[in-house]
Amino acid sequence: MRTLFILSAFLLSSMSAVAQHHHGDSATLKAEKVSEHSMYHLKAEWITHRNESVTLSQFKGEPVIVVMFYGNCTQVCPILIRDTWRLYNSIDESLRSSVNVLAVSFDRENDSPEVLKKYAEYEQLNIEGWHFVTAKEADIRSLAMMLGVQYVKKSDGEFAHSNLVSVLDTEGKVAVRVEGLNQPMVSAARKVEDMLKHHTMQ
Amino acid sequence: MAQQEQVLIPAGSFHSILPEVKGEPISVDSFYIDKTAVTNEDFLQFLQENDSWQKDEIPSIFAAQNYLNHWQEASTPGLEEIGENRPVTHVSWFAANAYCSDKGGRLPALNEWEYSAQLMDFDSMQEMNRFSTELIGWYSSVDAKNTKAVGSTGIQNRHGVQDQFGLIMEWVEDYKPIIADELSLDCGTVGRLQQLGNTYSYAASIRYITRMSFNPKTTTGMVGFRCAYNLEDRESSKNSEL
Repeated sequence: MRTLFILSAFLLSSMSAVAQHHHGDSATLKAEKVSEHSMYHLKAEWITHRNESVTLSQFKGEPVIVVMFYGNCTQVCPILIRDTWRLYNSIDESLRSSVNVLAVSFDRENDSPEVLKKYAEYEQLNIEGWHFVTAKEADIRSLAMMLGVQYVKKSDGEFAHSNLVSVLDTEGKVAVRVEGLNQPMVSAARKVEDMLKHHTMQ
Repeated sequence: MAQQEQVLIPAGSFHSILPEVKGEPISVDSFYIDKTAVTNEDFLQFLQENDSWQKDEIPSIFAAQNYLNHWQEASTPGLEEIGENRPVTHVSWFAANAYCSDKGGRLPALNEWEYSAQLMDFDSMQEMNRFSTELIGWYSSVDAKNTKAVGSTGIQNRHGVQDQFGLIMEWVEDYKPIIADELSLDCGTVGRLQQLGNTYSYAASIRYITRMSFNPKTTTGMVGFRCAYNLEDRESSKNSEL
């Protein structure tokens, strides 16, 4: 696990170094344009457990909590999903309706929208703003690369994967990364609240 | 431009230097893979149909500054300068992944690529050792400035997949594997990767370590790609053409 953290930290630091480098003029000059570092550039179409299609950019103006998991994962993933719920649940109730959750399965073969619907119901998370989704293989892998999530399917059908909960800000940029299971979520929740307050003030 | 020729690799197993279980081979299902790497010409055609991946359009979240910087201009490789049928390089993982997705495929999984690369036949042990020595030499001095044409190395596996060695390094889908706890990205890692006692394993170690040093925005003159296809996807696209 330790290695994973080092690799991910390396990825994140190289990403933020580039972000700082570009910040100054481009951010103010092209305020209406999508930021160079926004995940909205990923044109993927995500199919939800309600059989609806969503894109990342349609959440513009609202934060998105993103977690990657798979349905047949009975050991670690329920904890990861519960961590995601803890983050969501720590956000001030009056702001929660503006927060979206994208739970992306990397098990395309098994996690159809129907299976994801059962999963959402079983976890009692078939609630507004929560989307359990699947997509094209290349799009799922792209999202993982952008977030710094690694996963590989093992020959027994299980996946080895990193445990990461991320938050995209109101422009689609990665603003929070919580690595590992059972991490404290309060500071991440405060950041989400700040994003929303800041965004509505503009 | 002719459609990239694809080769069927039958299911099988191989010994990886990063096995799931120590000493156990890794099984790989059958898949199709491009016979040769994607060329500048192929990639230009993709860009003409997909503006957002052009050099002057691509957002920095998808590629480093030197994306396609061997091209004369954003809109043309300048083939008289580069040469024809050269593998496209200076492409990020994101761009390679988008290209393959556009073609109805995907990047080969790391284990698929490695499995295909090991399916080579040699006349003798001496021949195999000679090849291995050459390979190690090649990895230590990949000439990114004067890339030869695809199909020109004379190196191919028993199913006709060409140039997996000797031309460029190639992106794979999961190029940064989830590696065992005892491994880390330091100088000792090559030594600690599992040695298989065969001629490939040292060259393979170099390859795995080099891949691990990339991030998905990396664009270098050393790295290009080819695509792979699931059997069912390829069958269905065939049917829709009929």
